[in-house]
Amino acid sequence: MAKGKAGQSWLKGVRVCSIHPLSQECDSEKMPLFGKSQKSPAEVVKALKEAVNALERGDKKIEKAQDDVSKNLVLIKNMLYGTSDSEPQTDIIVAQLAQELYNSNLLLLLIQNLNRIDFEGKKDVAQVFNNILRRQIGTRSPTVEYICTKPEILFTLMNGYEHQEIALNCGTMLRECARYEALAKIMLHSDDFFNFFRYVEVSTFDIASDAFSTFKELLTRHKMLCAEFLELNYDKVFSHYQRLLNSENYVTRRQSLKLLGELLLDRHNFTVMTRYISNPDNLKLMMNMLKEKSRNIQFEAFHVFKVFESRQACGFPH
Amino acid sequence: MEKVTYNTNSDDYQICSLFAQSLTEVAVVYIARHIPSNTLVAYKKYDLDKMSAEDAELVQDEVILMRQLNHSAILPLLSSFVADHKVVCILPLMGYGSAADVMLRHFPTGLPEAAIATIMKAVLQALVYLHAKGIIHRAVRGSHTLISAEGNVVLSGLRYACPVISAGKWQRKMHSYPASIMAPNVNWLSPELLKQNLEGYDERSDIYSVGITACELANGIAPYQGVSKTLMLIEKVQGILRPLMDSSTYIPRVPIEGENGADMCQDDDDYSSIIANRTFSNAFHNVTELCLETQDHLRPVAKDLLTHAFFKNAAPPAALPRLLYPAMPILQDNLPDNQEDLESMMVCEKLYSLAIDPVSWDF
Repeated sequence: MAKGKAGQSWLKGVRVCSIHPLSQECDSEKMPLFGKSQKSPAEVVKALKEAVNALERGDKKIEKAQDDVSKNLVLIKNMLYGTSDSEPQTDIIVAQLAQELYNSNLLLLLIQNLNRIDFEGKKDVAQVFNNILRRQIGTRSPTVEYICTKPEILFTLMNGYEHQEIALNCGTMLRECARYEALAKIMLHSDDFFNFFRYVEVSTFDIASDAFSTFKELLTRHKMLCAEFLELNYDKVFSHYQRLLNSENYVTRRQSLKLLGELLLDRHNFTVMTRYISNPDNLKLMMNMLKEKSRNIQFEAFHVFKVFESRQACGFPH
Repeated sequence: MEKVTYNTNSDDYQICSLFAQSLTEVAVVYIARHIPSNTLVAYKKYDLDKMSAEDAELVQDEVILMRQLNHSAILPLLSSFVADHKVVCILPLMGYGSAADVMLRHFPTGLPEAAIATIMKAVLQALVYLHAKGIIHRAVRGSHTLISAEGNVVLSGLRYACPVISAGKWQRKMHSYPASIMAPNVNWLSPELLKQNLEGYDERSDIYSVGITACELANGIAPYQGVSKTLMLIEKVQGILRPLMDSSTYIPRVPIEGENGADMCQDDDDYSSIIANRTFSNAFHNVTELCLETQDHLRPVAKDLLTHAFFKNAAPPAALPRLLYPAMPILQDNLPDNQEDLESMMVCEKLYSLAIDPVSWDF
């Protein structure tokens, strides 16, 4: 028993130390647990911000700035996720870190300069972002609230699909954002959303597929929000969608047809579905797709086609 | 050297020759010439129309994952694009093919120990990188270790990998067991992964597969070949090892009376005598035993394993071509001549796309 107690108070000591890492007394030699250079969140964030600024200015010492950015990103990532030998930091440290990130506006700065950060650093940015995004205090998600006040973050991320070298990193962050209704709403209702119709068709397969997963997530994750969006923007969305269904690219055609089936068969989208099937051109398109040589396209087209037929059987006006 | 960019225009690649077919026959690998730079590349073609939606997703995940990895011992993805209903991945040409190919063609009794050391070292370096990035490979095997004409070894097969980071957390133990993913690699997998119990598995599972791969390459036989899956699982769980076969582990076969004489064919005797006359080093025996430790928490991680004496003396990659002789890599001037196969394959594809259409309506 006594041993356990001692162990506990020892742990407490560590926590106290890590909150006040500046106080000289409990430095590394006494508490070897956190390694030799335990910086406080404020220090790391400050150092990272300076390095990113230097990178943005594009001074002569660009390589040093890049190194500094990578190093500090790893520090932050290890605080949040831990490493194979150490656990993640305590909630208090993480809270401090998050607060520093909000106050310094660093998330936006990192995303804006993502293409200047080195290969591994880009992935670290995404991992730090995704972890901070999931932070919860009770039922509140403070990072989501923060991003709502800074929608530029989302727009910059969506724009990331324009640049090959950061597209996939932005994709992982965007899908994480799309999990939150408030953020999905901002993205759906922005003009940039319609760029996705272009992104899903780019010639590079990996980027196109990644963009499609994000696109699908935005259109299916929050049923009520999506139904409302589709009803409100029916003409614009489906005229763009038509282009995907007629795409030269087999993968785009197959994926968009499958998604169309899912959207029409979702009962939340009832109004959209009735509107879609009341247009004879859509029926023609599906019947032509049934003739496609590809069995998978035929199969997916059949799923959409059956919606037309079952409605007709119910005596729905055509 | 100038950096070549491999674009996504399928007209820029001219298919020269058939290279290999993947295990599950969903992909065919060709050797192609990248016309703008006049270099040879591997041209891997997945026929998505023959794949289910889930399998197609696996291909997507693999391509996206490969794009986000950058390590000298991991097969890089140069480019990927869609051509007709096929997804094409442009990869660097690995002249020797996989270690398993080299073994099957030229070393039916197993690769030389020195070559295995070099190969395993590269695989472990790749695993150190992957594990640090929070990825478990789950498909380390001879056919996923590719060797370039210069002797560089790279790990491929990332289709089966899984990320440890999910839900914004670093998961200490994984439990996922997608049957379709595991099926082709089941004989290489670790006992804790196969057990599928609450304890789960972690990145050390890959180390076990490295051990199995070492035995595969040294013995010249795919692991647990001809053994039922149940027996394989029981042996792994109980820690009954199928060791490296050499003079120290060789048990002369006593002819049992009444046994069918035809079983004891000449090949079998040859193989036995080679085994009886070779001796692997103690370090090699020791390293495979460490890898094949049944209890995962006692198994070393990739980083620690690399400090083992066996890898300290491993030959540099440049020495690999000499060790693999008489196997010869594919280079510009000795492309395998299989034009007939290639043509028949192309004709098949054409026929498929010509399929006569029974329905006809026109609006």
